[in-house]
Amino acid sequence: MQITLDKFTKRFGDVTVVEDMDLTVGKGEMVALLGESGCGKSTTLFAVCGIYRVDGGRILFGDRDVTRLSSQERNVGVVFQSFALYPHMTVAQNIGFPLRVQKKPQAEIDAKVREIAALVRIENLLDRRPGQLSGGQQQRVALARALIRRPAILLLDEPLANLDAKLRLDMRAEIRRLQQETGTTAILVTHDQVEAMSMCDRVAIMDRGKIVQFAPPRAMYDKPANTFVAGFLGSPPISFLDGRAENGRFVAEASGVDLPLPSHLASLESGRPIGIGIRSEFLDPSSTATVSGKISFIEAQGREDLYYLQLPDGKVVRGIQDAAHSAQLGDAVSWGVNTEAMLVFDADGNTL
Amino acid sequence: MTQQTKLGLGFMGPAIVIVVLLFLAPVLLTGFFSFTNMSTATGISGGTYRITESVLNRLPADQVRPDVIVSLSESQFVVDEAGLEAMRAEGLDPAFIEELAERHGAEVFTSGDDLEDAMKDLDNRPRSIRVIKGAVDMFERSLRDRDFAEEAAFTAALDDAVVDLTDNERVVIVQAAYSGWTMTTSNFSRLWSTPQTGQVIINTLFYVGMTLLLFNVGFALVLAITTTFLPAGQSAFFRAIWFLPRISPSVLYVLLWKWLAWDTGFINAVLGQFGMAGRNWMLDTTANAWVFVILINGFVGASMGMIIFTSAIRAIPKPLFYAAQVDGASRWQQVRFIILPQLVWPLLFVSTYQTLSLLTSFEYILLSTEGGPGSTTEVWSLSAYQTALSNYAGNLQYGYGATMALVLVAIGVAASLLFLRLFNFKHLVSRPRIEQ
Repeated sequence: MQITLDKFTKRFGDVTVVEDMDLTVGKGEMVALLGESGCGKSTTLFAVCGIYRVDGGRILFGDRDVTRLSSQERNVGVVFQSFALYPHMTVAQNIGFPLRVQKKPQAEIDAKVREIAALVRIENLLDRRPGQLSGGQQQRVALARALIRRPAILLLDEPLANLDAKLRLDMRAEIRRLQQETGTTAILVTHDQVEAMSMCDRVAIMDRGKIVQFAPPRAMYDKPANTFVAGFLGSPPISFLDGRAENGRFVAEASGVDLPLPSHLASLESGRPIGIGIRSEFLDPSSTATVSGKISFIEAQGREDLYYLQLPDGKVVRGIQDAAHSAQLGDAVSWGVNTEAMLVFDADGNTL
Repeated sequence: MTQQTKLGLGFMGPAIVIVVLLFLAPVLLTGFFSFTNMSTATGISGGTYRITESVLNRLPADQVRPDVIVSLSESQFVVDEAGLEAMRAEGLDPAFIEELAERHGAEVFTSGDDLEDAMKDLDNRPRSIRVIKGAVDMFERSLRDRDFAEEAAFTAALDDAVVDLTDNERVVIVQAAYSGWTMTTSNFSRLWSTPQTGQVIINTLFYVGMTLLLFNVGFALVLAITTTFLPAGQSAFFRAIWFLPRISPSVLYVLLWKWLAWDTGFINAVLGQFGMAGRNWMLDTTANAWVFVILINGFVGASMGMIIFTSAIRAIPKPLFYAAQVDGASRWQQVRFIILPQLVWPLLFVSTYQTLSLLTSFEYILLSTEGGPGSTTEVWSLSAYQTALSNYAGNLQYGYGATMALVLVAIGVAASLLFLRLFNFKHLVSRPRIEQ
């Protein structure tokens, strides 16, 4: 079922958390709301499931306006960051709760619980209580409870934040599998760009209550709308340098950087202040355009190493090199840059 | 003894003193008094030995022969040295005295007439019958209404009065004649056999049960749950209102209720406008008295449960309510499936704590109905208080009252131990039961 936010606005007292937000999530699509804490992403999610009242605009499920409906009437499955399992109920009772409050016959509830438990692979845990489960198992119970009514819409609020790193990888794939198997329309709220990019069809990146860019992960990574998006996506983070355009080149004297602009921007007027963004994988030994500096820090990452190249004015460019690379801490080096891939921003931070 | 132990004892010292003086000592004394027959009549110091009409009536017929009782109740006339000495002091004829001593010395006459006849037969008898009658009086010997400070002297006098007294009769009579308090277990059998005891137990159960169910737990729960769903300002306002009775002085608080219910009180003033005759709403019927007793106690008692339940509900993580809401649970279903299961321990705690405090508290009943009308609202603790320390009859039965109090202490201690066990007290003080 398609979810549409139409000029959605939410205020807490005098503080406007989300203002005039438009967002459309297609049927069967999984969309991430990505942003730092306080950007309004969880608020949006709580408004979609009806926990928060809407202060302006409309929320539509398909063609149905649900803006004024209570959460009980919306039939959405929600997985909370804390999982919010009922501590006094067994796993089976937790999963069956949405049916129990509908006064469904116990036999039907039992059957559905077993079916959904098999789907999330916790059939053997049905008699336990939440306190006796590991984080990953609690996560699966929360998912099962959200899915038992076969809701057309699934909302996930930081579902992986309380899990340890290894489990997070497994559950990423698991949640995506369940979402695709059930054909549910899903919104994932997260502050973790890796989660957003790896799990979702499209990512809406939010900043101070507004959607900055809404695009598929790859497109967003390759073509970020501005420095905010470019800085948010990518690990290790992108390195920014400020300078100006000069005869088809980017020049930053203090940093000792002079690089050709990408060919489609070669005609940029001289003297215009611009900035560039260099992702760590843009460092390319085969390129003749180089940046020079001193290696100030090396992070060993196994397959490859991350180098901090400190420029004369103290700015740092991060670059990934094969572990076989022999540069040592303190070495003065000149490294080539793949200038065609380089991101160029205007003075306001918008991508050119 | 280490420095720490000393320090610990030092800190506990005042508490120990208070516990010993204000709890342990009264309990031990109550235990002791309950095995005595102390009352206003016996006093709390010693007594004397004395045969009185009521002592004679109390003597059990199956242990003391009737003729012993008769001889104890009637006067005897004994020609003894004391009587002769009294005659000499009166200045009667020495020859008459000499002859009486010689012929009837140490003789016992059961009636004054017999002694008078014997005197008249003497050769040296005075002419005047009046003098003879006066002499007879000097030999009247009776145990009745004579005080003996020592048991030995009383026993000797008893043996003089009744020659063939058996050992058992002596013991029984000595016991009955003692006017001070003695150790006895009769309080317990009396408590067991008195029909009033049953009524007081029923009153107590009704009072504790209704106050607990309707107010201390029931109404407290309703307040806690309803204020949870109210906006913060309003809920704080309502809780503050319901807390007021708790912090108002009990005497003034009950006085306000009395003003409400009196013949010329508020209710009657209002109803009088519609031509209804005035009546004392608190005391005119048993049902009314109970309604007021329970309301007065309940309005005070609801606040504690309300606060404990409210904080327990607040401790439930918000996301649980969010989850229940999106799972489709209505308000009532949230109360039933989320709130109530989390309140099991607070509910048990408040019930038991309030049961114990209701069992022992009677101040509001004392101030309002004083157990009336009649003794229809008299509960156990009030009954014990009135028996032992304050009643209209004026005979304060310390021993019997102490027995009633002791039974209450025993029930209280037993119930506390049971509840602690039932609760598994560690559960209450260990880590919070709700994890987030």
